[in-house]
Amino acid sequence: MSLSALLSQYGDRYLQSLFTTWRLTALSFLGAFVLGILITVCRVCPVKPLRAFGDFYVQIFRNIPGATLLILLVYALPYLKITFPYDVCVLIATILIPSAFCSENLMSGMNTIPPGQIEAARALGLTFLQILRRVVIPQALRSTVLPMTNLLVATMLTTALASQVPMRPMDLTGIVSYINTHATGGVTAFAISAALYCLTGIVIGRIGSFIDRKVRILR
Amino acid sequence: MSQPVIDIRHIDKHYGQLHVLKDISLSVEKGEVVVIIGPSGSGKSTLCRTINRLETIDSGEILINGTALPQEGRKLAELRSQIGMVFQSFNLFAHMTVLDNVILAPTEVLHIPKKQAREEAIQLLERVGVGDQALKVPAQLSGGQQQRAAIARALAMHPQAMLFDEPTSALDPEMIGEVLNVMTELAENGMTMVIVTHEMSFARRVADRIVFMDAGTIVEENTPEVFFAHPASERAQNFLRTLHAPQGED
Repeated sequence: MSLSALLSQYGDRYLQSLFTTWRLTALSFLGAFVLGILITVCRVCPVKPLRAFGDFYVQIFRNIPGATLLILLVYALPYLKITFPYDVCVLIATILIPSAFCSENLMSGMNTIPPGQIEAARALGLTFLQILRRVVIPQALRSTVLPMTNLLVATMLTTALASQVPMRPMDLTGIVSYINTHATGGVTAFAISAALYCLTGIVIGRIGSFIDRKVRILR
Repeated sequence: MSQPVIDIRHIDKHYGQLHVLKDISLSVEKGEVVVIIGPSGSGKSTLCRTINRLETIDSGEILINGTALPQEGRKLAELRSQIGMVFQSFNLFAHMTVLDNVILAPTEVLHIPKKQAREEAIQLLERVGVGDQALKVPAQLSGGQQQRAAIARALAMHPQAMLFDEPTSALDPEMIGEVLNVMTELAENGMTMVIVTHEMSFARRVADRIVFMDAGTIVEENTPEVFFAHPASERAQNFLRTLHAPQGED
């Protein structure tokens, strides 16, 4: 099929898939971000078992392929009498894996904070959580805008996992499989999705650079 | 006799094999200005940092207004909030304006309403001469201005005592005076202060008592008049002889 034929026949579905990918990406990144911060708090807190848990968590979810995790969620969990809908399984996978990377970004962001600032905060009588909330995390976030932008793009690409389960509405990768089983879209069908991923990624990158310039800390 | 604000009793500290504080006892009365001097590596900064437990001690005890310094947690934070500290490298929070640096602890720790904390912060910043810099971030200020803002930040907690850990050692010579002036003003207004410094003329002018440390011990304690004119110990004599220039190193 030609590009124009594909677009005229499947244009609406592509658009719907694009929105699905955007929605998945936004939800996944938001979840990964919150979870990543919580895991990072565990990793730097004074309670040793929590630190160990945080490190273990990151090692597991940083090093497990997304497809493997999704298969476990979809096919293994039901044996434990836990069954999630397909879209929830996809979301869990696309939250857990990026959250580990988010935590690693934050850890490296924290390393940019001079230890003297932490000492000053302690000397002022701030507690551990107050120091994290007011001094450490805000600075770690400001210095990791670009890595976090990368993570957002990577999270978007990870949501292609949704194509591996019968999820409705379909995501940008799922739609290609659908078209190619119902018609002969060929490489062009892929190219359309690839272009949409690419455009989204470029926009995310631009926004990330803009935010980075705005919030970067003068040192 | 009234209770000392800071009471250090027989403390010891090791860094591995190195015995950095050896059976140190020192008490500081309300309104007293104690200046600790001594060669690099004598343990004077470490001693200063043990007072609010930025450095832990191996044995002995430290009392703040008669209360033993807690090991950790909320109680320690509470006691720390009563002792102001000024560092060699200023340590202002880089992501906040100078004003927010001063407001942070009063609102978070003392739960002072933001408006009131803000008004007080502006007054303090004006008092140390950086009122016009309040809305800038620390990196936009000179070293001397940053250090004065850091003093204002500590004062905003209404501390019972102030610790100064080599507050002018990271400053260009032309900025040292402006920081020492602020400290002199504090001393004249009755602030209890422990100051680690290499500024001998300042020490002579402001101190009620000079504590001379060497190799982890307090070698000599005296009034500045006596100490600088007639140091009793040979080590103090040698130290003063090597200090021809008023600014020290490190």
